Parts: sequence; structure tokens; C-alpha cells
Amino acid sequence: MNRLTKRLSDLKKDNDKALVAYLVAGDPDIDTTVELMKLFVASGVDIIEIGVPFTDPIAEGPIIQKAHDRALKNNISLESIYKMVGEFRKHDDETPLVLMGYLNTFIFHKKLIEVNQDNAIDSILVVDIPGELKLEDYGIKNQNINTISLISPTTKKDRVESIAKNSTGFVYYVTLRGVTGASNLDVNEINANIEDIKKHALVPTLAGFGIKSSEDAKLLSEYADGVIIGSSIVQMIEENSNSKEFDRIGKYITEIKQAIS
Amino acid sequence: MKSDKNKFPDKNGFFGDYGGKFVPETLMYALEELESTYKNLKDNPEFKKQFYKDLSEFVGRPSPLYFAERLTNHYGTGSIWLKREDLNHTGAHKINNTIGQILLAKQMGKKRIIAETGAGQHGVATATVAARLGLECHIYMGSEDVQRQSLNVYRIKLLGAEVHAVDSGSATLKDALNEALRDWVTNVDDTYYIIGSVTGPHPYPMIVRDFNSVVGEELITQSQELFNSMPDAIVACVGGGSNAMGAFYPFIDIKETRLIGVEAGGEGVETGEHAAPLNDGMPGVLHGALSYLMQDDSGQVKATKSVSAGLDYPGVGPEHSWLKDSGRAEYVAVSDDEALKAFHEVSEFEGIIPALETAHAFAYLDTLMKEFDKNANVIVNVSGRGDKDINTVAEIDGIKF
Repeated sequence: MNRLTKRLSDLKKDNDKALVAYLVAGDPDIDTTVELMKLFVASGVDIIEIGVPFTDPIAEGPIIQKAHDRALKNNISLESIYKMVGEFRKHDDETPLVLMGYLNTFIFHKKLIEVNQDNAIDSILVVDIPGELKLEDYGIKNQNINTISLISPTTKKDRVESIAKNSTGFVYYVTLRGVTGASNLDVNEINANIEDIKKHALVPTLAGFGIKSSEDAKLLSEYADGVIIGSSIVQMIEENSNSKEFDRIGKYITEIKQAIS
Repeated sequence: MKSDKNKFPDKNGFFGDYGGKFVPETLMYALEELESTYKNLKDNPEFKKQFYKDLSEFVGRPSPLYFAERLTNHYGTGSIWLKREDLNHTGAHKINNTIGQILLAKQMGKKRIIAETGAGQHGVATATVAARLGLECHIYMGSEDVQRQSLNVYRIKLLGAEVHAVDSGSATLKDALNEALRDWVTNVDDTYYIIGSVTGPHPYPMIVRDFNSVVGEELITQSQELFNSMPDAIVACVGGGSNAMGAFYPFIDIKETRLIGVEAGGEGVETGEHAAPLNDGMPGVLHGALSYLMQDDSGQVKATKSVSAGLDYPGVGPEHSWLKDSGRAEYVAVSDDEALKAFHEVSEFEGIIPALETAHAFAYLDTLMKEFDKNANVIVNVSGRGDKDINTVAEIDGIKF
């Protein structure tokens, strides 16, 4: 069974909520990324989302954009990401891994995804394709990798149903109009929209974009099956990348996991 | 004969293999709203009347088709004709598209206008139409372009718009587009994004092409009047490709006319330091569309190089990619040096200082005119005037003011 599907169903059985943590592969360097992933897991993260760096990440706010730039300076490609993930899998064969990135990178490395060495990756989220579509529609086939589609506050009702049904990993509800790391959450709108998605979705619905504090996370986990934290972690990675002492991040993650459990 | 002209885009926004809608989900609704507004309006007689009235009274259309006598004599083969888009209000073809799109924005009740700009001509054209309707306007411009096109930056400010210098990435047009898309994702409810070229997600490549096609439509009439036949060739520079597309589109089914797009060869196509994706790129996805793209060996978008800010872009409109693959249009490149030489020559031969972008089209005449005899008629689309480039050229020539 796909690790992501298993993890989400285990959490549901335990009546628990999922915590997804994001980082950009190769920021500050590829070896540190593996260490950070281990720290995430030790601190209570259920699912890891790995940002695949791209020169033109149009959905990202300034914090994650800069992380993409730093990773690209280290010449990170999907090839080096697969090597890094292989390293991580030597230590951890249970934590689900999701790649999040832009279509051009995935098309370019089509073969790597079709092979998906040792089934290391469990799911792929392509930020810049319509929610009804998946990688298969662009000629990239792998039955062991499932799909995460985005639904946003501006998605029209008639499309919510087809996008929700297209998702085989989880449905990613974008909580605001904006880029990653923005701060204009509208809780009433989020609640109503997630309720609507849940009517159609075959998999859990998680919320992301703009969730910063354990208070935000707690509030949103009342409606969603889990939360995704990105920019605030990436910022802490940047701030501590010289010393490479990331205890702060571990503490932050543990706090959030406790708040939503 | 079956028309190729009306075949594309298809219902998913593709021109053959190219185009589409590759954007974050938040923008999908905005694109659908734009597409349905445009579909409802484009053949509406009132809308068309307003569009052509504005083009005539505010822009000063039709722009002349002018016989370039000294340039013609210089080459000694066919007649060279200049489509004078440089004479439009604001000094370039860019105004045609913004006149049309601002009418769409008004119809959709949007209160805030955003745009990206490279050379600054689209920024000026957008700020101009926004001022005319009293709408708030924000222009995104790479910080490198803010430096090299400072005259246009000041014009945009004079017109009451705000200029946002973009420092990310290569700090040029592509990064300005990224930032404009991010603004749009954030303010999608009340904001209209006027894209300035035949690039971006569907329906933009179609809309920008249609509004700019007034250029090619006039050329059909003017060619008939002035030399009583269709031209043998139309030459236009291609960055994103809006001036070329506007001139080419009405000619797609007129097969006797060769359509020639000239890309920015920078230091030379063979050096890799250029902005010529149709000559030296491969299909990829950038800014919402699948098209020829300059990318490295891991699928990252490559930095471009061109003396001309308006052509300094790693992608190109998807319809050009289709025209290239189908063979209907030819795409060549000229280097910075060749373009600069043409910039000076055209100024001295014709009393017209062309934009550095346009100078690329002129530079290709050196090669092209050898292929024609005296009976040929060749049109150069003079996409814009060169006042904005005086500082750049002076610096290259070692002149300080």
C-alpha cells in the first residue's frame, strides 16, 4: 500500500490530524535536507512535502522563492533529489514523501518519475496544472504515485467536485487568495469550502498556505483533516543555516502537532 | 481551401501542441471569467465600435505604410515598406492591445490594473489607458530594466501608475511576469492583469493577438492600395511576439506572403548567450503556456542576453511555436551588434530612430534583400520608436551626457 494512503488512513483510525511539513530540497544543502527530514519525523511530522526548486516558482511568496534560488545555486535537480530521497529511505521507509513543484521540471525528468527508484516517492503535487488533470495527462505514468490536487477559494462549485474526485493522495485546500506565506486567512470561508469539498472527496482534505502559528493550525484542523506548514519552517531553515542547529524547528513542529492532536 | 487562420486556439487554448493554461488553481476562475467576457464581447458591434473609435481618435490609427526610398536604394533589390507603429500614441504597437484589454477590464468591473513590462513600452501603454479611465495601476519591471529604460519608468510614473522594481531571478522581463502573476493570485477578485504579449495562459495569447491584428488587417488594405498586390514578405522582431503576431495573423492564409520573425541573437546564437528560443530552445512550460523555451539540461529556465530589454525573454508566444513547426512562418536571429548597426543605419537613411527591438527586424534585411528581385515588396513592422533606447545606445557608443 502507498505510504501516504496508509498514513492518512492510520491517522483517521486514531482520530488524529495530519501534520505536513515542507522544505525545499537542497536548501541550505542536500545533506542538511536529509537531516532536516529526519528531524521533522522525530518531532512529530506525519508527511513530508519536498519542494522541487524551479527558476520561476509563480505560486511562491518571497520566503520560499529565495529558498528555491539558494537550492538552484547548489545545482539541485530532480536527479539529485532522487539520490537524496534514497539516502533518507535507508533510515525511514514509512514516512510518506510528496514532491511539490512545477510542471516543466517533471516533464523534463519524465523517466525518473516513471522509474521512481525503490518507490521512494509516494505522491506528486504539480502547482501549475488545472486541478482536474494529473501527471498522466502529460504522458508521465506511474501507478504507485498518487495525485494531490489543489482547490482554492476561487474554484467554482462545478469544478470542486471533479477536482476532489481527481485527488488520490489528499485534496490540498489553498486557504487564501495569494502566494505561499501570505497572511489573510478567512476562517468562515475556509470552513464552508472544506465542508463542500468533503462531500465529494474520496480522500482526506488538508489545508495549507498562510498557516503560521499553532493557533492557526488548531483552528483549521477543526475543519480540515490536517494542515500543511511551509514558509515559517523555510524561514527558520534560512535563519539557522549557518549554525545548522535546528532545535527551534523541532520544537515548533512538536508544538503544532500537539495543537492539532 | 481550409483556413489555418481560424483553427486555433482550440477549446483548451492550444495552438497545435502549444499553449494551454498552466497556472495555480486560484487563477483558473479568473481565466474562465476573462474568456467568457471576451467571447461575449468580441463580436458585439458596440464593443467593436468603441475599440476602433479609440484606436482612431486616441491612438491615431491607421498607422501609415511608408515607402522607405533610401533604404530601398541602399539594398538595390525589392521595395521596402515600413509599417509605422512607432507613430502610434505612446510610441509603439503595445497601445493597440491595452486599448482593447482596458475595455474588457471595464466591462468586468475591475478596479485595479496590473501589468509587467520589459522595455517599458507596455508599461507606458497600460498606465496610459488606466489613467484615461481613472483606474489604479501597478507596473512590474525587472530592476535591471528599470535601470536601462529609465525614461519609460519616469513616463509611467507621470501617468500616475506605480512602478514595482523586481529583484528576483535575473531581474528582467520574465521575473516581472512572475511578480505580476503573484500579485494577480493575491488580488484576483478586483484586479485585471493586462498581459503585454501573446504569451501567458489561454485566453491571453488569443486576446492579445486579436487586438493587435489591426496591424495586419491594415496591411492587407494598404498593400492593395500602394502596390496592388500582397507583400512578398513581412519582417518583424519577436520577443514574446505580439507585434509579429499582430502583423502575421491576418496573413496566415495568404500563402504568397512570407512571414519572418527575427529573434534576439545577443552575443550570437552559437554562443548560447541570447534570447532566441525558437532558434535554440526546446518546448517547455513557463508563465502559463507550453511553448519553445530556453532551458538548461535540468529543465530550469535559462538566463537570456540581449541589448534590447523588450526581447530579453526566454519564452515566446505559443502560436509562434505552432507557426514554426507548421512551417508557415520562418524564425531567424540577429546579434546585438547587427541590431545596433541597423539602429544607426535606419536612423541615418530614413530619419526614423527605431526601437532596439525593431532594429533586429531591420538588421535581417541584410540577408533577406539578397533573396529578392526589384519587383518584390517587403514590409518591416516598425514596432516602436527608439527614443527610449538613447541612453543604452549612447553608453555603448561611449557617449556621456
